[in-house]
Amino acid sequence: MIQEKVTIKNKLGMHARPAAMFVKTAAKFKSDVFLGRDEQEVNGKSIMGVMMLAAEMGSALTLTVKGDDEKETLAALIALINNKFDEE
Amino acid sequence: MKSLTVGKIYEDNQEQLQLELLNGQLSFERIIEEPDLHRPGLALSGFVEVFTFGRVQILGNTESGYLQTMSAAKRKKALASLMSFEMPCIIITEHNSVSQEFLALATKSKISIFRTPFKTTRLMHLLSDYMDDEFAPTITVHGSLVDVYGVGVMFTGRSGIGKSEIALDLVERGHRLVTDDIVKISRKAEGILIGSASEMLRHHMEIRGIGIVDVRSIFGIRSIRLQKRVEVEVHLEEWDEAENYERIGLEETITEILGVEIPVVRLPIFPGKNITVIAEVVALQHLLKINGVNSAKLFNERLIESMQSGNRKKGGLTEYLDKDFE
Repeated sequence: MIQEKVTIKNKLGMHARPAAMFVKTAAKFKSDVFLGRDEQEVNGKSIMGVMMLAAEMGSALTLTVKGDDEKETLAALIALINNKFDEE
Repeated sequence: MKSLTVGKIYEDNQEQLQLELLNGQLSFERIIEEPDLHRPGLALSGFVEVFTFGRVQILGNTESGYLQTMSAAKRKKALASLMSFEMPCIIITEHNSVSQEFLALATKSKISIFRTPFKTTRLMHLLSDYMDDEFAPTITVHGSLVDVYGVGVMFTGRSGIGKSEIALDLVERGHRLVTDDIVKISRKAEGILIGSASEMLRHHMEIRGIGIVDVRSIFGIRSIRLQKRVEVEVHLEEWDEAENYERIGLEETITEILGVEIPVVRLPIFPGKNITVIAEVVALQHLLKINGVNSAKLFNERLIESMQSGNRKKGGLTEYLDKDFE
């Protein structure tokens, strides 16, 4: 299991489009993905869960990945967040 | 190319337009290649350079009146010139009288003459409607068309994926079958697709393992309808892990049929998934959308608003329900 702290960088936060990108990317890998904010943790492959976090710009999230391809999964997801989901 | 003969026009419209055949079935085999109608006023006055003689010709009050005001010699020349063109037929409106001279020339040139009591504008309106229908571009699609809550949902997908079974399931739930397996689509007016069954297959379907089933006999008259506007396509496909399926629904995928764009929903199927209920949701979602309610968009707007106001606290209903100990 690996874990990393991430910060949302795009202006609108994790609204529907970024959330969809996140879960679609997560779904490509075998590992389980969890996304946590404060005391809440949701499955990173569930779009409703990810949107429920309502992670605005600047919010700090904990990304947890468990599985055989956890390294690649984590790298792909972090790249997505750092690229601001191709938004502003 | 559509081939519409004068004979077919007469047969199809004789009753509605009260057409009276004045000479004989002289040009009944003649093929009309365009839906437009023409009033040969200028051709009568002698200007025949761009005379669209291949269209159905309408002789209204103006033309009939004009012929009467001409001197006998001039009229003879005008009619001879007009009848030298191979017109499909001439329709005389408002029950105007037709001279023997006119009929004789037409008969000689083998042009059928009809007469109707309708006013010119009314006749042209009715006949144009018929002609547009006849000339509407058509296409045959492998799929099933069902009226689901008033929305024309067309199911497509490879043979054997279960289109008929879904159609049957929908009929069982009170929706109406238009056609199964083969959908004849024609483009009516601008941007409207009308789907119907082929005359032969009408409300019959093949269910694998049973054979041919007559939906009307089994489920009754309320279970079928003759035609329906095609509004949404649902494309069924086997679940493929590598495929990107729609998760949000903010953007609509569009498909084009006969140049008309309609939304298409790609539905992956796998055991335990109730496509029938999902098809109903697709129809209802479409109804909401055309009524201006886009659920995905509204949800996202609310989400962005809540993120920007930084207000993630509970309140109102949530707080009230929080006290609901049970």
